[in-house]
Amino acid sequence: MLSSFFQSPRSVFASAILLRAIFLVYGLFQDAYSPMKYTDIDYNVFTDAARFISQGKTPYARDTYRYTPLLAWFIYPTTWGGNWFSFGKVLFAVGDMIAGWTMFLILRSSMGMSVERALKFSSIWLLNPMVATISTRGSSEGLLGVMVSALLWAVLEKRIRLAGVLLGFAVHFKIYPFIYAASIIWWLDNERMGRSGPKAARADSLAQKLVKFVNRDRLTLGLYSLLTFMILNVVMYLAYGYPFLEHSYFYHLTRIDHRHNFSPYNTLLYLNSSPNAQSSIKLERLAFIPQLLLSTVLIPIVLAKKDLASTMLAQTFAFVAFNKVCTSQYFLWYMMFLPFYLPSSTLLNNRRTGITALTLWVLGQAAWLQQGFQLEFLGKSTFFPGLWSSSIFFFLVNTWILSVILQDVKQKKRLNDREVEINWKRI
Amino acid sequence: MKQRITYIVHDPESFNPTSLIVKGDTFSINGADAAKEHRITFSLSELPQEITKYLDRCHELHIRWVSERPYAPIAPFVARVSPGFHAFFTPLKTGDTNICPLLRTFDENFLCESPEHDFTVMPVLSERFSMSSSLQFYSLLPDLKHFVQYLHYRVICPPLDGLHEYSSECMIPNAASSPLSPLLSASYLDMDYDAISHALTISAFWAREPMDGSWTETITLNSKGGSIEIGVLSNENNPDPEDLAFSGFLTVLGQDDEPKPTHFQTPSRHHPLPPTNELTFTTGFSYPAGLHPTLELTLSSPAYAPIAPPNPTCKLHTHITLPSSLFIDKYQFSDPLFLQSHNLKSLRSISGATDLEAPEWVISQWGSAALFELSFPSESSQTSSPQSPLEGSSNTNFTVSIPLHTRYLPPSKVGGADSARVTVPYPVVFWACHTDSGTKQSASPFDRVHLGYEALFGPKTMFVHVPPAARDAPTLKLKGGPKKFGGGQSRLVAELNVPVLETKNAAVVEWGTVGVVVAAFLGLCWVLFRGNSPDGKAVKSMKGKGKLEDVVQGREKKNE
Repeated sequence: MLSSFFQSPRSVFASAILLRAIFLVYGLFQDAYSPMKYTDIDYNVFTDAARFISQGKTPYARDTYRYTPLLAWFIYPTTWGGNWFSFGKVLFAVGDMIAGWTMFLILRSSMGMSVERALKFSSIWLLNPMVATISTRGSSEGLLGVMVSALLWAVLEKRIRLAGVLLGFAVHFKIYPFIYAASIIWWLDNERMGRSGPKAARADSLAQKLVKFVNRDRLTLGLYSLLTFMILNVVMYLAYGYPFLEHSYFYHLTRIDHRHNFSPYNTLLYLNSSPNAQSSIKLERLAFIPQLLLSTVLIPIVLAKKDLASTMLAQTFAFVAFNKVCTSQYFLWYMMFLPFYLPSSTLLNNRRTGITALTLWVLGQAAWLQQGFQLEFLGKSTFFPGLWSSSIFFFLVNTWILSVILQDVKQKKRLNDREVEINWKRI
Repeated sequence: MKQRITYIVHDPESFNPTSLIVKGDTFSINGADAAKEHRITFSLSELPQEITKYLDRCHELHIRWVSERPYAPIAPFVARVSPGFHAFFTPLKTGDTNICPLLRTFDENFLCESPEHDFTVMPVLSERFSMSSSLQFYSLLPDLKHFVQYLHYRVICPPLDGLHEYSSECMIPNAASSPLSPLLSASYLDMDYDAISHALTISAFWAREPMDGSWTETITLNSKGGSIEIGVLSNENNPDPEDLAFSGFLTVLGQDDEPKPTHFQTPSRHHPLPPTNELTFTTGFSYPAGLHPTLELTLSSPAYAPIAPPNPTCKLHTHITLPSSLFIDKYQFSDPLFLQSHNLKSLRSISGATDLEAPEWVISQWGSAALFELSFPSESSQTSSPQSPLEGSSNTNFTVSIPLHTRYLPPSKVGGADSARVTVPYPVVFWACHTDSGTKQSASPFDRVHLGYEALFGPKTMFVHVPPAARDAPTLKLKGGPKKFGGGQSRLVAELNVPVLETKNAAVVEWGTVGVVVAAFLGLCWVLFRGNSPDGKAVKSMKGKGKLEDVVQGREKKNE
């Protein structure tokens, strides 16, 4: 019964659509009859910004709109009134459905899975109630999901120009996907791309290595992504001026993130951003060093050539775990890579490790949320030790899970196209 | 210098006009149970240079100080402002505009560096009502001690050498020993200056004589000249609901030999509730408050007098003054269901520090002010819920709640507590009603404007004020902080404890965080780089893993 369900893409995708439709309609009812809204606060920010655009004003007239104006343009129909208000949620849900479809494609073609197996693993995303909830509440992560999974698909399909455009667009949209540039570039070597390159079989000198490194595909990706990114920025700057730069980019560099969140740094940032800080060294200013070293240098170099999708998972996981601010929507950023990593992972194949990881991951959040609730709603000062230690504990759990992922990917052999074909025949 | 002293007798029946005696340049009143307003108008030349040099920077300056102690209103002195110190300021277009040194004569600890830095811009909803100032400053200020001492030592008893040397009779142990000490018991104090009239008007109001409740005073015309006009009035039943009517006695010192009987009526901007209406309100935070406290306004009226508008055009409003440690998220108030669940109609206006993300320490402005329209229970709903007969004397209560958010407050210093006290003055609550006599209101000798909220209404508006009543606040305890506060005396403020981090743990947080992050980073590097050779451990476990995968896939095949 269950296996016949997973044999038909139609049944899985119909269920995914149904799931989102049910959440969407439920949300309409809750919004209409309860002062506690189903709709995410951010969705009101987006739709307010779209309304400002429709009045010929800047979307940055809405406080806390920190996104590209494109996002407000995408949901322009929400300004037409009536049921059009839900247009953005539908768009985001369609986006995460396409992301799920792209995952299915990647699992089928690049990883050579059977339909059933591919459907099972893409259901981690497609039939995940958390994903469906986040999209239908009106959070734009679904759009990000389609961009990033399409980027992965394009790279694996070796459509390098398309990949460049998607990468540039994703970075314009949400900045953090820039970390994928490192792994994709590293992955795009001559052997992979079936090019012999300058036939210097042994590139010994640094100059030779460099020439060999800068191949046509890497140049193409770099050029197309940079061009897309810059064209979008220039157009947005010309249309919306300095506030676009300020809210989309500079804000993220200068924000102090003093409010409690899952990040291990949150208590330290609250302390040291205040006038009562006693520390003179302010080590938190160096927080970007371990974060960027891991996610953009070390992980890509060691792992990217072995398994690009799992490397992107590890990069995202490291980026989120070591970030100065971390909320639960950030978890979606790495969840979209789980279908590619899990099939051959210790987490799935060694049941004990897997269950321990999931339990600790949930427990870490639960402990933090319990402390956060005491602070936020009961007014108890749980900043120290409660909130601080639970965010440190959650960070350590994340570090351990990341180490399991790193070990798994490291142990993989370099997967090339020939092997995929063999795999394919075997299955 | 012009002075006008007005007594409004509380109970005209028991007032005896023979207690007023005029003898030459002297007026005496004996045992009058009355409210009193004392208004003094100075021309600039009569003021010391250290005050005029700041007034010269003002196009308009209106200071409103209101006591935190509850007081009973009496017409025409019914207009309300939130307790504390308010300054409404319009600078001259050119030159230095910093009036903070003048404001700090009220409290040297005011967080006032300059108007650009600390003041908020006043909202104007009604362009036609042009009487509004452009900038606002507010601070809590429980008493006028500092101001009285300032006036004593700098104005009425200036130093002999212009610096620090005083004649011996000038030296006083505290503000209560100054001739200006009556100011310490005032219910409110207004100061108004504008560049057109070039005059400074100071009005102090006492709802009752502070010591024994009745006034026994002698007022003498100053030898330096000037004029003193004294009115002893009582409220009359007014034939026109838009007017206030008075009768009593007027005396111009030096001109009149005896108090002259008078009777007059005047349109008024501010009105008391009708006599049959005994509505009051209290304010406090609902507990537990957390980081999203709710300010509750409880409107209370005797069961026999349901909460009802004075006339059908009236709409119930509240004007709230919030310190920068709290803020309102205006975007919450667009949903009708949300508004309804809090008994609110709409957020009419909000100004000041409304940033939704900033912690308290990056906000330079004093705070924010907001005007809400409130719902009120319909008459049928109040009568349809019968009171239990045992509670025959109980009140009809109606609670309006205003959801707020706290900003992050600075971590407490070493030895501090794990929470910080935030004090919010009572808001003002009033019915705003339509009136046809709007333009004539300013003709009233008692008209009081620049209260912070009138400019948010059209000119044809009259305000019917709901008086506040002190609430028996739950006793809050600060861990490690002062155990008692308020001295048991009722104050028109609502208090809240906001949790903060204690800096005594700073070193653990700092080195703990850094140590854990560095250790995690090094551990992950080790995982990435250990045994990196192709024929090392990695390959061995790869083989093992391959088996595992086969096993899993085999199992799946069986399942099929």
